[in-house]
Amino acid sequence: MQLKELFINSVRQGPVPQHIAFVMDGNRRFARKNHIETAEGHNMGFEALAKILEVCYKSGVKVVTVYAFSIENFKRPLHEVNALMEIAKIKLMQLCQHGDLLERYGASLRVLGQRDLIRQDVLEVIDEAVAMTKDNDRTILNVCFPYTSRHEIASSIRDVVLSDDSSSSDKTAIPGLSDFESITQETLTDHLFTAGCPPLDLLIRTSGVRRLSDFMLWQCHQDTEIVFIDCLWPQFDIWKFLPILIDWGVKRRKMEKLGLVEVKREGEKEDAELNSHRQRELDERRRARTATF
Amino acid sequence: MASAGSVSSSAAQFSAEPFKAVLRSRKKTPEALERERLVLSHLPPDEVAQGPVRRFLWTQVYKFVLLVIHTLFSIYLRLRWVYNTVYSHAISVLYYHHRTPQLIEKDVRDLKERGKFPKHLSVVLELQRDGLDKLIDELAEIACWCACAGIPRLSVYEKTGILKSYIATSHRAMAQQLRLYFGRSRPTLRVHAPHSRPFANGDVSTDDEDQHVDLEVMFISEEDGRESLVDLTKTLCDMAQRGKLSSDDVSIELVDAEIKETIMDEPDLLVLFSSSITLKGYPPWQLRLTEIYNVQDNQGVGYQVFLRALHRFARTEMRFGR
Repeated sequence: MQLKELFINSVRQGPVPQHIAFVMDGNRRFARKNHIETAEGHNMGFEALAKILEVCYKSGVKVVTVYAFSIENFKRPLHEVNALMEIAKIKLMQLCQHGDLLERYGASLRVLGQRDLIRQDVLEVIDEAVAMTKDNDRTILNVCFPYTSRHEIASSIRDVVLSDDSSSSDKTAIPGLSDFESITQETLTDHLFTAGCPPLDLLIRTSGVRRLSDFMLWQCHQDTEIVFIDCLWPQFDIWKFLPILIDWGVKRRKMEKLGLVEVKREGEKEDAELNSHRQRELDERRRARTATF
Repeated sequence: MASAGSVSSSAAQFSAEPFKAVLRSRKKTPEALERERLVLSHLPPDEVAQGPVRRFLWTQVYKFVLLVIHTLFSIYLRLRWVYNTVYSHAISVLYYHHRTPQLIEKDVRDLKERGKFPKHLSVVLELQRDGLDKLIDELAEIACWCACAGIPRLSVYEKTGILKSYIATSHRAMAQQLRLYFGRSRPTLRVHAPHSRPFANGDVSTDDEDQHVDLEVMFISEEDGRESLVDLTKTLCDMAQRGKLSSDDVSIELVDAEIKETIMDEPDLLVLFSSSITLKGYPPWQLRLTEIYNVQDNQGVGYQVFLRALHRFARTEMRFGR
């Protein structure tokens, strides 16, 4: 048995973050440093992502959210944007293919962000990929493409403001326009793109930049542990990732001992169904809402 | 070449022959083995039906290994803590400010000339149990460093918001501390909190909010984060219901303008005095491009953290000693 497997299986026995987010920063710098094309740098970044995803899912992480493309990135040179779109197209299809990563770990793909900015041909591929994996219900991969957190929060507010629930007689309906006094933080959380995902436990940004850059602001500003690591994303591998996971586990264990958090263990039970009814309901509501626009 | 297996039609036999020849040789070429190895490592593990006993035993092994890992890691953390603490102490001795504005000014002069320098600094302070006095002392110290370094805006996040009910007391404490640093001609000071009038205590006239002060201090708390966005949503719902708002009006720009107006704008640099980075409810909207800095294994407010954060912000190397 490989050492890697032993470590992963052991980490799984302790506390494991349920939801991890990555800012995959440093692909361009890596390319420049090693004198390769920028597109090749992004390609290697994707390879690194595939490896990290495998570690995550094997060790019991339920949801992984990655920052693939910011709305701000559209300001980059056109040829690079186009290259990125092409890579996204190819890699998304590869990820979802029969027997590949997502199917192996029962991960359903979700693409979060401002859809109307995506090119039509890429959009088709995305829809296909999402449809292919929609029945996988053990884990989730959120790809933020093209995303900014401010856009997400603003559209959540807009969704709530526009939600017309006066017609529904259902008393358990979520607060909206007609009884706006009962709007709470949870109402806004439920209208975010990440609705239904467990709270974000860990956010990792590579390349030593100590900023959130408009990513997961609402999700990460409370108890999330934020880690800025000084290595470029293509160099970020299991041996850099495991210490972070273990560090998180040690801290969480301390908190469990102090009774600050609930004790949850992944290793002892089989993969529980993640897509609860609540999640399905949220999905349907979201779909109904986007259809009205 | 009449092999035993060739009972199929001649056409099929023709195409299948090379493969069979390879199979018959029974010896895999190194390349083939390499290919197989590459493929196998990416295939899901064989679904070997593990008995309950075996699985139980493996689980125990993993649990044991985890225990070992955690123990070793804890030892590593201890050693790292010792190293970082010694290093921090060394820096704080070498860079002690002696409550002298000229020394602090000298510490940051280089940064201002060569790198970026924040105009709006934010800090997160923690209220220990019954530690209001300590909290206000820390606040006064930080305010002095900012005044000396020439940072015009300081926002102080404290989760419970207790500082907001002690605006006058805090102003007095900060003014006193500034006098210790600067003597009689201390910098002017104004204290704000969202939803309340700025307090200057005669430093400048309170009627004119735009009048220049040397240091503006803002107190923010957890309710200025998510709750302020919830309040905004309620206001917008109210407006929409009365037909004063259409769907296109709710935009990032609108939310941003409202938040800026009622709470505060984005800080350039956020300094945490905790050992790890958790934001503890800091207003999310304002954190978009803020640089976040902490010192690993640091506990408590210290001038060295402040200075290292400024160095990091300016992307300049810090020399060991003045």
